[in-house]
Amino acid sequence: MTIKSTNEKMGQGVGFERIRRITGYLVGTMDKWNDAKRAEERDRVKHSLNKNA
Amino acid sequence: MIQSIIKRDGRIVLYDQNKIAAAILKALEASGDGNAMDAARVANDVQRELEGKFSDQAPNIEAVQDAVEQQLMNHGFNAAAKAYILYRANRTRAREANTKLMKTIDEITNIDARISDMKRDNANIDGNTAMGSMLQIGAAGAKAYNEMYLLRPEHAKAYRDGDIHIHDFDFYSLTTTCCQTDIIKLFKDGFSTGHGFLREPQSIQSYAALAAIALQSNQNDQHGGQSIPNFDYGMGEGVAKTYKKAFARRLRDAVEDYLDLEDAEYTVSAVIADAEKTTGEVAKLCSSATYIAAVAEGLVKAFKIDKDTAEKLVKRASERAYKKTDRDTQQAMEGFVHNLNTMHSRAGAQTPFSSINYGTDTTPEGRMVIKNILLALDAGMGHGETCIFPIHIFKVKEGVNYNEGDPNYDLFRLSCQVSAKRLFPNYTFLDAPFNLQYYVPGRPETEVATMGCRTRVMGNVYDPTREIAYSRGNLSFTSINLPRLAIEAKGDEKVFYEKLQAMLELVAQQLLDRFEIQASKHIYNYPFLMGQGVWLDSDKLSVNDDLREVLKHGTLSIGFIGLAETLTALYGHHHGESEEMQEKGKAILGFMRKFCDDKSQELKMNFSLLGTPAEGLSGRFIRMDQKRYGKIPGITDREYYTNSFHIPVWYPISAYDKIRLEAPYHALCNAGHISYVELDGDTARNVEAFESVVRCMHDFGIGYGSINHPVDRDPVCGYVGIIGDVCPRCGRREGEEIPFERIEELRRKYPKMPAFQGIE
Repeated sequence: MTIKSTNEKMGQGVGFERIRRITGYLVGTMDKWNDAKRAEERDRVKHSLNKNA
Repeated sequence: MIQSIIKRDGRIVLYDQNKIAAAILKALEASGDGNAMDAARVANDVQRELEGKFSDQAPNIEAVQDAVEQQLMNHGFNAAAKAYILYRANRTRAREANTKLMKTIDEITNIDARISDMKRDNANIDGNTAMGSMLQIGAAGAKAYNEMYLLRPEHAKAYRDGDIHIHDFDFYSLTTTCCQTDIIKLFKDGFSTGHGFLREPQSIQSYAALAAIALQSNQNDQHGGQSIPNFDYGMGEGVAKTYKKAFARRLRDAVEDYLDLEDAEYTVSAVIADAEKTTGEVAKLCSSATYIAAVAEGLVKAFKIDKDTAEKLVKRASERAYKKTDRDTQQAMEGFVHNLNTMHSRAGAQTPFSSINYGTDTTPEGRMVIKNILLALDAGMGHGETCIFPIHIFKVKEGVNYNEGDPNYDLFRLSCQVSAKRLFPNYTFLDAPFNLQYYVPGRPETEVATMGCRTRVMGNVYDPTREIAYSRGNLSFTSINLPRLAIEAKGDEKVFYEKLQAMLELVAQQLLDRFEIQASKHIYNYPFLMGQGVWLDSDKLSVNDDLREVLKHGTLSIGFIGLAETLTALYGHHHGESEEMQEKGKAILGFMRKFCDDKSQELKMNFSLLGTPAEGLSGRFIRMDQKRYGKIPGITDREYYTNSFHIPVWYPISAYDKIRLEAPYHALCNAGHISYVELDGDTARNVEAFESVVRCMHDFGIGYGSINHPVDRDPVCGYVGIIGDVCPRCGRREGEEIPFERIEELRRKYPKMPAFQGIE
């Protein structure tokens, strides 16, 4: 990826990379995920460490 | 009078009664029903029927064929009529497959992968590249052929309709899934990649380089994940070689410096050789006192120096050699990780799908490997990116690394720190009863190891003396659409189990059909996997032997998806919601496991039950079921079926309960399983909290687990961590630009900040 710099500034149009575990493995960034797995990732809830949650 | 007919593509051609008679004759001959005279008579009546219906209009080809069918029956040629109908149906299927294939290739060629879900079916293949597209086109062609020519009609129908999913169907006629490569055995005396011979490696750098090449080579022979089960033990041998050489060199340097000699190499080598002879040992990271004394004594004699000085020289050489070896190992591990994230397989469309298992080697050499591979993982790639490959698997074992005071406990702690930042390693638990039953101390091949998404191979019904992880793998797997069986059973448990039994039989038969194709292959089809003895017993085959017997060390696995939706469809709620449902869930998977065990005993082959990874499948089954049954609340109303036996991702539950409820299914799914816990970023970075989750998994008998937490990166300032809407380091929002001065300022503040990528 190339980051273009203009007017002494940089980063225009550059997104954040978000790495998540897809099944047992990782995938570079989420834009390569299929629609169903994207939806699943969106729905994931965090698990608390409280035993009685 | 019929003059012409309209073909399928719209062209109008002259009507030719002879052609019709010829087609009829073929049907008559196929059924042994009649002769050319009969054919001519039927053809005459076909023409009469068409004239009655169309007078002098041109009929289309379908109407002509309808008339042929009708007249064959009118003349009492029922068997021939049947043959003709079948022929028509087959032709239609072939035509449709061709059209579908061309449409698919059209989509691969012309549509951006960001828009085409089909092109993102496997997230590790970049469908936008030339080689990635070529791979997808090849896969589409192979699938069309395999469905048409290799599947029994009932299997083709079940696959097409979404009752089952045949994984890696494009490779149906070609190869097997995966393998655990024993690198110690492979490296002994060198090996050939199929493109050239490599000598036995002599340093940790070449050990690491060749390990990557081994994974790459095997990836050309199999479609699934490639794994090293003994990374620490194997690389440890390279560390030992590097140290031995470094010690000799450092000792020579020390002697030359101290005595101001120009070249002491010959004499020092002789001293070392002598010490090796008398003690039967070589220089090691922690050499024995006997060996060190023998070397010192040799120096005293050879160089006429006093004992104190000699001992000092040996000590200095040992310390320096240790540092050098540690540095070399660190570089070798970094190189290994970089290699696996950049080297190509499958014509450049993918990197090898690689895994490495480690954690239990307690020798100083093995420990040095484990420490440095974890540090390389922690450091990330060139710009601090998280490494995607290899999958790191840390083997947890009581008495080895699990408890304080265990020899590798420090490395287990380090692994938690790294995983809390980089998502790897995952953890496999050798103390889970279904893993412990195979474990023999001192025999690392009996330690369970994982490959790919979650595949596990241990038991061996074919050869019970070889219940090991090394040199084996999965042959193929097919998954059952479990929720559909439950929906179709309409709440009737008995009907559900009957349907499940029938589906298990169907899948077992299909796996055996596929095995027949695989079994008929030869060594030369797999120059690395079989030609280099990577697969168990393949070194005993001769060139004309087929692979049938050696492949029986592998597994045929029956997978499934959506236990949660299945329970909801049958009983109204899932196993996260009540203990009663947990029992029902265990009963269903227990039934499936028993089927696999019985089949294994019956055929003396390894059938096993798999909690399918289901990357592409999560959407495929449910889309088809939504079309059939609509959106049923709690069952088909989302965009995906829940993975394997997991508690649904959207269901609020504590980590403790999730682990407790999922653990029993690990024992049942002997082909592979994994459980995840989702932590928020702050908790994950608390190493105590992170470790407590791993310990909870261990104590409940989880087989394989990992902890998910968000890992984000801002490519502009290089920050790795959790990024909400705003980057916590440079303060920009997604897509926003920031001034150079700000970056310079940050760079001064964070000197370890990675260099920025390709700034123009």
